[in-house]
Amino acid sequence: MEHPRQVTAIGAAMVITSTIIGVGVLPLPRFASEAADAGGPLVTLAGTVPAFVGLWLITALGQRFPEKSIFLYSEDIIGKWPGRLGSALLILFFAALSALTAREFGEVVVTAVLKKTPLEVTVIVMLLLAAISSRNDVVTFSYLHQFYLPFILAPGLLIAVYSLKNAEPLYLLPIWGNEPKAFGEGMLTIASLFQVSFIMSLLIPSMSRPWKAMRAGLSGMAIAAGFYLLIVIATIAVFGPEETKKTLWPTLELARMTSLPANVLERLDAIFLIIWVTAVFTTLLSSYYLTIHAISNLLRLRDHKMFTFFLLPFVFMLSMCIPNVLDLYAIIRLVGKTGLILTVIYPLLLFTTAWIRKRREAS
Amino acid sequence: MTLWQRIQQFFLKPSKRPKQAGASEPSRAPSISGDLRQTASAISDLLGDNDDFVSLRFHLFGAYPANLFYFSSLVDADTIHREILKPLMAPLPRADSAPVRVSHLKEMLLRDQLYFSEGEWVTDFSTMIEALMKGYSAILVHGIDAALLLKTRNIDQRAIDQPKTEQVIRGPREAFNERLDTNLALLRYRLPTEKLKVKTMKIGRLTKTKVAVCYLEGVTNPSLVQEVMRRLSKIDIDGVLDSGYLEQFLSDNRWTPFPLLQSTERPDKIAAALLEGRVAIFSDGSPFALIAPVLFSVFYQVVSDYIEKSVVSSFIRLSRFIALVFSLIFPSLYVSIISFNPELIPTEFAVAVAGGRAGVPFPAVIEVLVMEIAMEVLREATIRMPQQVGGALSIVGVLVVGEAAVEAGFASPITVVVIALTTIGSFATPAYDAALALRILRFSLVILAGIFGLYGVMAGLILIANHMLSLKSFGAPYFSPVIPWSAKGAKDSLFRGQLWKLNKRPESYRTLNTTKVGKETRNLVRQEPHNILDPVSYEGRRNNDGTSSPGDRHRGGDGDH
Repeated sequence: MEHPRQVTAIGAAMVITSTIIGVGVLPLPRFASEAADAGGPLVTLAGTVPAFVGLWLITALGQRFPEKSIFLYSEDIIGKWPGRLGSALLILFFAALSALTAREFGEVVVTAVLKKTPLEVTVIVMLLLAAISSRNDVVTFSYLHQFYLPFILAPGLLIAVYSLKNAEPLYLLPIWGNEPKAFGEGMLTIASLFQVSFIMSLLIPSMSRPWKAMRAGLSGMAIAAGFYLLIVIATIAVFGPEETKKTLWPTLELARMTSLPANVLERLDAIFLIIWVTAVFTTLLSSYYLTIHAISNLLRLRDHKMFTFFLLPFVFMLSMCIPNVLDLYAIIRLVGKTGLILTVIYPLLLFTTAWIRKRREAS
Repeated sequence: MTLWQRIQQFFLKPSKRPKQAGASEPSRAPSISGDLRQTASAISDLLGDNDDFVSLRFHLFGAYPANLFYFSSLVDADTIHREILKPLMAPLPRADSAPVRVSHLKEMLLRDQLYFSEGEWVTDFSTMIEALMKGYSAILVHGIDAALLLKTRNIDQRAIDQPKTEQVIRGPREAFNERLDTNLALLRYRLPTEKLKVKTMKIGRLTKTKVAVCYLEGVTNPSLVQEVMRRLSKIDIDGVLDSGYLEQFLSDNRWTPFPLLQSTERPDKIAAALLEGRVAIFSDGSPFALIAPVLFSVFYQVVSDYIEKSVVSSFIRLSRFIALVFSLIFPSLYVSIISFNPELIPTEFAVAVAGGRAGVPFPAVIEVLVMEIAMEVLREATIRMPQQVGGALSIVGVLVVGEAAVEAGFASPITVVVIALTTIGSFATPAYDAALALRILRFSLVILAGIFGLYGVMAGLILIANHMLSLKSFGAPYFSPVIPWSAKGAKDSLFRGQLWKLNKRPESYRTLNTTKVGKETRNLVRQEPHNILDPVSYEGRRNNDGTSSPGDRHRGGDGDH
């Protein structure tokens, strides 16, 4: 397929931000405070470091091969079959990530808004949305992200600002936490929330100015990281680390605490959740899109549309085979941390090999 | 063949069906020969069955056998008698009265004898027939193998009226009518520049509709004009009865409910569009002209936005946009909140709603759907109704849908309020076809709300937004200049910036010449105004002058009162 190179740097940055911010925000303060109670914000900040490294690697690689995605140039760097193996693993990983995202959000919706609706329905609706929308080309894909970004950022910021009323700064002290025993693990868990920024690899071949990709990607991720940090600080400051640990989705609780002036709406969390369907949608779209493009790149297909619906039942079954919410989060942590090998270590491997072998795209 | 394939074939490949009548050409092609009788009989064979077809044999200058053909319904009989027959039948007032050679006649008729600026000799038989059908008169002279066509067409037309569908409070009040010539005149009157180019072509095998493509040379992107011409030239259809036919062939996406070309009956709108670097398409017989390309702005922008001040029109635009969002999602929000999440609304209100719904046996979604359908029927009926009964029927309609439905326990009062607000909101959308798209989508959103509640509404909205984001009108993204973001273009999106800040033509149309407002004007608005009439400085200047005449003083005194 001929890629029109129309994605601007700002567009790419917006894609990265809206991709990263997703359903992970809901349990994020819990992850942070479980790792280092009052040190939650610090863990979050530390967690962005591996994420930034991963994004830096994938962008640097992309700039070395501005015409190709990682699924194509990996074969140039480390050979045909190892490269294909890497791509296959990435496909599996992102398919699993899509399944987990859909399932996680399905659980949230069923618990908070649609109490009588079967889980399957909410999950399949979400997956269908992603499948239908991933039939677009990369340029339209970036338009989608640009359009939804305000709807993703605004409710979160609103909630964070309103929560200041109930905030207790003491909850945030000491900054490094009381018993930061699981600091490293928590850091990795939080870093795993940033992994879909891997989408940068697909964007670079469509960017009008690929050399701007690094700045775009890093600033996009910085916005997302700032947003995450804000949410973690606000939640822990309102509930305290101990309470946050016990709540399944602390951010949702935070939304529940806020109320608009003039008593327009009695419950804000449902509205928050509904508007946040867009955030989940963009994240899911990115991971699904990545999966489909990876498959079509691996099989050298010209058109990625073929797999959009073909993949759907598999992802759906994958997301349905998890028995309950507790197992879901155990699996999310596991898959997330394992995924870091694929999204950080694997690009590092490729980058060093390319650097040593001085491989660049033949121009 | 499976059923699905059959359905596909039926919808997607209408060209495989047998060709319509009129596609077949007559097998033998008659020509205009010098033999008057032969040609005349060929014409009579073709058109003689029509009772309004006139074939008049006469003697040109009292000497040469000739024949005049015309359709009495299409021409002005007075013109025929006075301007054609009188000078032609009268013998030549020549002194020598030597007979004119037949070969000279051809030149003489147009140059010396007839007072017609639009007359020409044609040799092609089918061209002549086509011209006859359009209201020309044809004169055949024995011995000349050509026909003289004279534009005698006189078809009554509607007067230039006020726009029926796009009214403004402040702004021009003229609208197009059905004649292409009149419409082009209205446009040329607004753009008296040599840069305005009009290209015409004929589309429609039987209707032979004249279609005009207008653009500003040096402003409009030439590739855009080419693309419009290319798409138009591909159209092969038996008839084009309105510009709406062309719209459907020119659209990039044929299944979308959203308009990808704008239709308007306002000449000033067309002029504004041309100045923005867009292309206008007229079709003879249609009071609506098309504009291409078109963006989402068609939903909430009107020409009078640029007539009012920036602050005022920004506010009006915003309210129009709110009305648009309202008319799209309000009923579905109502349904989902009432039937799934009543805890969202304040308790007092929820109690009131529940009280109002107490006697209604249906779930909210059925109630809203029934009322919406009733509203649609009412709306459609109002368009078709004869005006004499219109008033009476609309009163009945309002009573039935409003008061009586509630009294009968058919709908709750709040449902009526919701439906009423939605319907009023949908009339605030300036473009009729844009409002239509929203009407269709509103129904699907209500159904989604009935099944999945707020989650379904959101999913539906995401689908709609994704669809709109993927739309392109001649390659321009539908949501530009907002998505993809352009700071320059966004000055004229939901808010309308000051006219001198909108100094460039919209980027989305990729125009050749981009400057709208000159640099000097832009600098002028930044300067301090000269306070001519400021009392303090005026007094000071007058004292400095010292020699002001009594008359001046008197006038100044008047001003003080």
